[in-house]
Amino acid sequence: MMPVSTKGILGHFYVPAEALAAAAKVRDAGWTHFDFLTPFPIHGMEDAMGQKTSWIPWVTAVLALCGVLFAQGLQNYVMVWDWPMNFGGKPFAAWPAFVPITFEAMVFWAALGSAIVAIIAGKIDTVPQPPPMLVATGATVDRFVLWISATDPKWDAAEAERFLRSLGADGVRLVDARGGSDA
Amino acid sequence: MTRHEASPYATVMGDGQLTGRPIVLAGAGPYGGDLEIPEPLVTGGRKWVDVDRDICMHAEQFPTRRWWMAFGVALAMLGVLVFSVIVLIYGGMGIVGVNQPVGWGTFIINFVFWIGIGHAGTLISAVLYLFRQQWRTGINRAAEAMTLFAVACAGIFPIIHLGRAWFAYWLIPYPNARGPLWVNFNSPLAWDIFAISTYGLVSLTFWYIGLLPDLATVRDRATHPWRRAIYNAMSFGWTGSHRAWRHYESAYMILAALATPLVFSVHTIVSFDFATSVMPGWHTTIFPPYFVIGAIFSGFAMVITLMTFMRGYFGMTHYITLNHMEAMAKILMLTGMLVGFAYSTEFFMAWYSGSEWEGFVFRNRAFGPYWWAYAIMFTCNAIVPQVFWWKAMRRNTWVLFVVSILVNVGMWFERYVIVVTSLHRDYLPSSWGMYALTRWDYLILIGSFGLFFTLFLLFVRVLPVVAISEVKGVMDPEVARSHPASAAAAALQEA
Repeated sequence: MMPVSTKGILGHFYVPAEALAAAAKVRDAGWTHFDFLTPFPIHGMEDAMGQKTSWIPWVTAVLALCGVLFAQGLQNYVMVWDWPMNFGGKPFAAWPAFVPITFEAMVFWAALGSAIVAIIAGKIDTVPQPPPMLVATGATVDRFVLWISATDPKWDAAEAERFLRSLGADGVRLVDARGGSDA
Repeated sequence: MTRHEASPYATVMGDGQLTGRPIVLAGAGPYGGDLEIPEPLVTGGRKWVDVDRDICMHAEQFPTRRWWMAFGVALAMLGVLVFSVIVLIYGGMGIVGVNQPVGWGTFIINFVFWIGIGHAGTLISAVLYLFRQQWRTGINRAAEAMTLFAVACAGIFPIIHLGRAWFAYWLIPYPNARGPLWVNFNSPLAWDIFAISTYGLVSLTFWYIGLLPDLATVRDRATHPWRRAIYNAMSFGWTGSHRAWRHYESAYMILAALATPLVFSVHTIVSFDFATSVMPGWHTTIFPPYFVIGAIFSGFAMVITLMTFMRGYFGMTHYITLNHMEAMAKILMLTGMLVGFAYSTEFFMAWYSGSEWEGFVFRNRAFGPYWWAYAIMFTCNAIVPQVFWWKAMRRNTWVLFVVSILVNVGMWFERYVIVVTSLHRDYLPSSWGMYALTRWDYLILIGSFGLFFTLFLLFVRVLPVVAISEVKGVMDPEVARSHPASAAAAALQEA
């Protein structure tokens, strides 16, 4: 599901400010298949990496509408069409009574759907990633890891290594999961 | 803000050095003035590496004797719940105290009580997130877990209150062979099913989404391949990729924005169970806000109780500092005053409405045979939290703990007062009566605490009890970094 590249280069930074500055330089140098693996989200990283704002809110809006339609459809079907009952002469389509469930269904569909789509989007809407179980990066601890995949059109191993060192990255290493890593 | 050579946060080693007031850096502000910065949220000079160790430790080492003792007690209480519920289902509703005229007894009281407890977790995770209250990071994981377990406890009561619990699935509207017999969507009890189940599932989703990066941290610390594989699967293979963080952060914000109105709607709908009836004392428009604020109040009391344990039992004082406790004490006092205001408003409206029945019910509440329940409620909820006007009280964990317990007691009695005093004397004096709890009422109430604490104690053993990635995000990088400086820092200086 997630695109994985077996070849690429890793290098890490120690504080968010350094990572942010580096990301902007990678973007400006014209690399496209690069990513930052970080222990927590860094404010401003989207801009620095040249990414657009996430499209998840649109998914939420559509799902919320689906939830509203589902709840209205169910309640009107049951109370007006399939099983109309006379409660003290009140109208069958008593819309104010349908508001609470409509709201709950809207939240339910929107929240669960957005969460699931966001998890999947994180895997699909991305660039080729380092082979996850083969590379211990420390990115879930305290390192801000820059990854450039060999699938990048600009890729040249020597050039990439020189570039990462020029950014001041530590622990620069070439990864080649098929041919073995030099780390 | 200009970064100082030595961060002022590096020297704050613990609660003793926190004052609850800003740190003043003389001459560091613009034009040579003073600069005030908030005190650090994490003390003890902790680094990002230390956070992982401090928090994951509890899920990685063999449980302590104290944990086993606490777990043993909780499990015994859970046994009481299982036993009593079996006896109840086998023996029928006759073994508990509900009867004419009080047909809603401890089961509804406990249901509202537990649902209310849950609300603070969502408030901390969602509302404080939207308000950018960074101190929430230390407590939100445990508070959200508390929400889930409280909803689990609450969910039991309407089901056993049905009398024939094995027909509980009739509450779900689905095409069936019983007519088809649908639920009545005009009934607040049907709204409740949707509200509670939505609340439970959305809270679970919100909590789990927050857990993903931390499960990856636990995975990366794991030494056993199975443990590694299990936590990897649970984190859906999280790597920390910023291209994933982008969607993650967007979804997290949306979940917070959806959970905020949800939390208000849930207790509003619970209050509709009462407010849409024609009972004096229930049929009032103040009920939705009154219930919501009471829920937040009682939930914060439970959070304070649990956080006191987490500080004392699990040594989390560097992450849940006295400043966190003080902030919660302030919310407790504010919501306590709002609850007290609601009590007074009810009395005023009972008089101002000119309704004979409404007036009687409220006189009967405060001065009738259940005056003691009203007195416990009013004292614990409206008067006791007033001690938090004094800063020394807000920062004394013993005072906080005692007040939090009293508020929990008071809020249980608030629901007791609402349910019992309205029902026991209604329009017809010939059908007045009294309500007495039987031993099974007590056992099931005690047992529900057993379920709550069993789940909580298991949670602290297998999952990170503090939101690691969020706490790391609010730490000062100059203190938290593991290497003093790198080539990149020098490059940054030149740029």
